[in-house]
Amino acid sequence: MSTPVTGAAKVPSAEPAPTEGDLPMVDQPAVSFVEIETLRAREFIPAAKEALSSMALEKGQAEVIRPVFNWAGRNSLFPLHWGLACCAIEFAAAFGARWDAERFGVVPRSSPRQCDLMIVNGTVTWKVAHKLITLYEQMPDPKWVIAMGNCATGGGPFRTAYSVVPGVDKLVPVDVYIAGCPPRPEALLDGILRLEQLIRDRRE
Amino acid sequence: MVGEDIGERLAGHWGTDRLHIEPFPGTAGKVRFDPALVLDVLRVMRDELQFAHLAMVAGIDWEKHREVLYALWSDERKQYILLSADIPAEAAHIESASSIYPSANWHEREAWELVGITFDHHPDLRHLLTPDGYKFHPLLRSFKLHEPETLEVKRRDV
Repeated sequence: MSTPVTGAAKVPSAEPAPTEGDLPMVDQPAVSFVEIETLRAREFIPAAKEALSSMALEKGQAEVIRPVFNWAGRNSLFPLHWGLACCAIEFAAAFGARWDAERFGVVPRSSPRQCDLMIVNGTVTWKVAHKLITLYEQMPDPKWVIAMGNCATGGGPFRTAYSVVPGVDKLVPVDVYIAGCPPRPEALLDGILRLEQLIRDRRE
Repeated sequence: MVGEDIGERLAGHWGTDRLHIEPFPGTAGKVRFDPALVLDVLRVMRDELQFAHLAMVAGIDWEKHREVLYALWSDERKQYILLSADIPAEAAHIESASSIYPSANWHEREAWELVGITFDHHPDLRHLLTPDGYKFHPLLRSFKLHEPETLEVKRRDV
């Protein structure tokens, strides 16, 4: 274990002093990282709370708390694990080994109570419409909706069919539309990253 | 191949004025019968002629009238047979076959909601493919597209 570095004592060494431009010289930070690393978990939370409280007093509460919540929310988007049609195949591929959407913190959950993102991946029929609305209402706030593919966006090739909802925005508010029939997993990841941009700019 | 014994057996029951059998490719024949006879004909088919499996109930809209089509399969004969009854379009009613063949239940629900044929004494005549409260029969020839866009979506409070 290394002892905490205070930076006060400079031990003269036998080596020649480095000339300017030879090595990057960094000033000692006000709070040493070593000190933070030596904090125990039960000490870390009060320290972080104190730091945030002082920042909130200094800059105003909304300026500090909202970015923290946005940062936490956009890095842990939990989509609902369900599939409506063939877009669900691409949805599944996006969470497989090749594209691995979990590296963005996107983890499908099987219960709408644990989700904050609904990815509508397929053709929405009138028969399933009220079930979709029920699932959306079961999700806790704040929540977002991605319309994946042409069917969820506007009905797609089945727009004039007697059983198809012409766009899921007739039922729930949609944040991001992804074009494609079906969109590739890269497009789904792009849509998720654009949704993260929206959450980053979110102001209550 | 027309099953001659089927024709003889059916003619022995009802004669040939209310029921007759004609050849239909790939099957044992197509029986056209009076819709009032539907339960009796199906019971004879199941109990006396070994057609134990009801494979399909379909409805066809011919504008002037509608046709109810039953496809039966016999494991003993290795044959299908078609039964068809014409019913008027203004009074599209026929007796439900689900008391004889329980598999008719969902087929008749589908034919009811898509072609608008009402099956009397059906145990559970609810919507199967379209939502509850759907007012249209979308496979009728008089049905126009884009009407369902005006359909109001209601939450079902279960």
